[in-house]
Amino acid sequence: MKAQPVVRRGNPGKGFLTYLGERWSGFFLILLLVVFSLIGRNFFAVRNFSNILYFATIYLLLAAGETFVIITGGIDLSVGFVMGLVMVVSAIIMRDMFAAGQPVALCMVVGSIVGLALGVIPGLINGILVARFRVPPFIATLGMYGVANGITLNLCQGFPIYFLPPQVERLGNSFVAYFLPGRGVTFFQKPPNIAPEDIRNIVGIVPLTVLITAIIVAIFAFVLVRTKFGRHTFAIGGSMDAALRAGINVPRHLVKIYILSSLFAAAAGVIYVFRAGIGHFTTISSSYELFAIAGVVIGGASMMGGKGSIWGAVIGVLILNVLENGLNIAGLQAFYRYIAVGVILIAAVVIDQLTPERRTRSV
Amino acid sequence: MKRVLSIALLLLLACSLLFAEGKKETKQLTFAYMSGILDPFMIMIEKGAKAKADELGVKLMTAEYPKKWGADVQVPILEALAAKGGFDFLIVVPTSNEALIAPLKKISDKGIPMITTDTFLGDGDYSKPSAWSFPLAYIGSDNEKGGYEVGKKLCEMVGGNGKVYINTTNPDASSVTGRRDGFLRAAKEYPGVTVVGIDYNLDNQEKAQQQTAAVLQSNPDLKGVFGTNLFSAQGAYRAVVAAGLTGAVKVASWDAGMDQIQALERGEIDFTLAQRPYEIGQLAVEWGYKYLTQKAEVPKVIRPGFFIITKENLKTPEAQASIYK
Amino acid sequence: MSDTVALNKKRHNAGGWLGRNWALLFLLLEVVAFTGMGTHFYSLENIQNIFVACTTILLLGVGQTFVIITGGIDLSVGFVMGFSTVICAKFMVLLLSAGLPEPAVIFFGILICLAIGLIPGFVNGTLVARLKVPPFLATFGTYGIAYGFAEIICNNTPITGLPAGAGTIGNEYFFYIVPGKLFSFLARPQNLTRLELRSMITIIPIIVVIGFVAVGIFGFVLRRTRFGRHTYAIGGSVDAATRAGINIPRHLTAVYMISSFFAALAGVMFVLRYVSGTADAGSSLTMDAVVAVVIGGASLYGGRGTVKGTLIGALIIAVLETGMVNLGIPTFNRYIAIGGILILAVLIDQFFPDLVGKG
Repeated sequence: MKAQPVVRRGNPGKGFLTYLGERWSGFFLILLLVVFSLIGRNFFAVRNFSNILYFATIYLLLAAGETFVIITGGIDLSVGFVMGLVMVVSAIIMRDMFAAGQPVALCMVVGSIVGLALGVIPGLINGILVARFRVPPFIATLGMYGVANGITLNLCQGFPIYFLPPQVERLGNSFVAYFLPGRGVTFFQKPPNIAPEDIRNIVGIVPLTVLITAIIVAIFAFVLVRTKFGRHTFAIGGSMDAALRAGINVPRHLVKIYILSSLFAAAAGVIYVFRAGIGHFTTISSSYELFAIAGVVIGGASMMGGKGSIWGAVIGVLILNVLENGLNIAGLQAFYRYIAVGVILIAAVVIDQLTPERRTRSV
Repeated sequence: MKRVLSIALLLLLACSLLFAEGKKETKQLTFAYMSGILDPFMIMIEKGAKAKADELGVKLMTAEYPKKWGADVQVPILEALAAKGGFDFLIVVPTSNEALIAPLKKISDKGIPMITTDTFLGDGDYSKPSAWSFPLAYIGSDNEKGGYEVGKKLCEMVGGNGKVYINTTNPDASSVTGRRDGFLRAAKEYPGVTVVGIDYNLDNQEKAQQQTAAVLQSNPDLKGVFGTNLFSAQGAYRAVVAAGLTGAVKVASWDAGMDQIQALERGEIDFTLAQRPYEIGQLAVEWGYKYLTQKAEVPKVIRPGFFIITKENLKTPEAQASIYK
Repeated sequence: MSDTVALNKKRHNAGGWLGRNWALLFLLLEVVAFTGMGTHFYSLENIQNIFVACTTILLLGVGQTFVIITGGIDLSVGFVMGFSTVICAKFMVLLLSAGLPEPAVIFFGILICLAIGLIPGFVNGTLVARLKVPPFLATFGTYGIAYGFAEIICNNTPITGLPAGAGTIGNEYFFYIVPGKLFSFLARPQNLTRLELRSMITIIPIIVVIGFVAVGIFGFVLRRTRFGRHTYAIGGSVDAATRAGINIPRHLTAVYMISSFFAALAGVMFVLRYVSGTADAGSSLTMDAVVAVVIGGASLYGGRGTVKGTLIGALIIAVLETGMVNLGIPTFNRYIAIGGILILAVLIDQFFPDLVGKG
């Protein structure tokens, strides 16, 4: 592992493979997939992989945004609650417009755009607090966590938001393609005239929300690695002073980073509304931010800043989700899974640390 | 020198506390409501209580909703409330049968009568003298009994035979664990029924859906699912729908939020058990008022009961009254 | 990273008791504000409640202080606390059914719990120090493991059936005074009339004393002993500390064991207060503990922080939460208020060096 951030040559695709070769996490993920396929019933199935990706999307989006923040040496604890805020606001807009008789498509579009736009504000505030007022990111984003949660609760009064247009949930749960054995593949819609016995056999290929998430994540992976914006992010994480001397407008860049993280949280919120068909506040026990950050760190980022990658975060999040899914399918009961995940994760990191080339890595 | 000064200052502050003003008595009857956690059920209790309080001309002050179910979060709020004073009666949802006995006894010793709602202290029997018999009454639907009813109904629906699965929120929330345990008790009476697993989603609907989806995947012959509260049920039935198994897998749910009612209409949930939080709140205020003003004898246990809503009886007024809104 | 150093310099050079003790001032400001706006806020009972309420966060925070000074973080404390309430409760129930007398049951239950409570810390320390696992991941892993074990041991149901004597220590006070009639030391007066009960004054909860003694001891350790100095040294620069001859792996292991010891102690306090064991006791408090430490002046990058600061941080949080209930601020707005005040508090801290003059 090189000491300073490196601008990768070549396309992101090649970068991904190089990444895989260099890191334990990639191999570990593959190992998990193999093992679970062998010991779990129906683990190795399109539907199951579909499920894993489907449920991972929220964490993937949150982790992607978090990656940028962590690379600069900061942390964003507000993402779970910004997501909740956007969820509730988008849902309310869609519900009210629908009730007012507006066309469904318009409801969905306006709800989504307003939701995303809303996501800029918490990020802006976080960024200004951290960059201009030098509030430690931990405190600034923790404060935002409370503020966002409070506003969300005020808006929804503790109840989930119901009565959205039914198309919302349908869209969120649709697949890019459907495959029915004997009937072939149809795109974007379920095959017409299905016999009831056949319902169980339809296989959805690539949920729509997964596709959208994949595109967004891929774009920002590119941004992080190949653009000036990305390079500046690494520079700030490496040393703020050096970055300043190099002429980077550090405060402005930091603000952009926190806005980005917030936007990812907003995107996660909008997607959640489409999937669940309702909007509701984020519960305290959900710990979304914890798992997002864990994914980023498993993927190789350092909490001190200067290191990290989107692909790493993706793999980190997938590892956590595959572990949860695989252990469940393998039949391990609830809290044994907690222990198993903890042990396996630690074992994996330790093994990685023990392999020779890793000795130079510091804590 | 600075040391001595700061210690002297601290002592002065401490002594001044002894002379801090005592409690003033309030003129208007005031009730306090201490809920268990922030969720629609608890909010409904408050709504019912508030309606009744307004009707009777009584003031209702609501303590903060705990962010987590547990004594460690509820007791500090309770004690802060008690220190503030200014209320004559307490309606409380104890978040632990054991842990809340001591703190609530302190409040009772100050002369404030109370009623426990939804959850009880100790074994719930306030008629026999014991460490926990000081509350006036317990008003609530019996979670364990409700779980048992749901279990029986679900087991019958799957023909007394097959695999079922429970998805619940939190093993440390006594109300929800009651439902789980009641369900398990019912399942024992059907030797052909196996409970393949119990998962805990910690109040996260997505997690509920994720866990249920995984179980459906590894148990393609699963026949029944029980979601023990709003979030659990919402996640569980969605997983069944996503897997295209509606109808093949029976879904039992608890609580009657609008989403569950709509799912019921669509046939995605087979039946749900509705408690009566609104009524619980009303009854608590009503009995408290009667006790304070007329020294009425309050029944030790009041069970507003629950109602099992199915697609068939959804339109009846009784069912409609049970919906949370 | 160097920004923090620059800020550090400013604070020390600017001088002014004001700048360095803003947290204490903020705390006093809070108390004054709530007393003014609230009902009976500044009363014997309420202030004592605040101390009791802050004890848990304080205990978790003190342990966390050591860890954060070394530049690490311990995410497992909340669940190690829950785990220890389960262990403590479980052993007490076992010993009780084995026929031991109550005092022995309580004593050994606590002892075993504290001993077992050192294990998660040992694991964390070994992972971080010897196996070079990043603290975030190591403690993230142990958090899950502790939670899992806790739930399995208690069989997914809170543990009850403990000896009643346990609750006595947890809920009783040192002094009981019924004005004009009684003065009692350590024994709660029985058979009082209703009126007497209402006017009884209780002073100094036993639990707070136990907690503060522990905190005091370790505060001394951090500030005045070589162990403490080494902790700061590691936080400042691992390389420099190694060159100075400090046995880093051993020291770090000890530091994480201190953290889990305090988590276990907080768990014991829980059992003594609530006479039951719950796996997720304290799970929401990990974050609060870190906040207390950071408000108290620590930096997540390491090298800074004090036990006194953590104490003030814990009190600030406890006063804030109690004040919110006292003012009757609706739950929803409470989140906004606490978030906002937190940020405000730190902003004030940032402005003070400017107010007092740059160094």
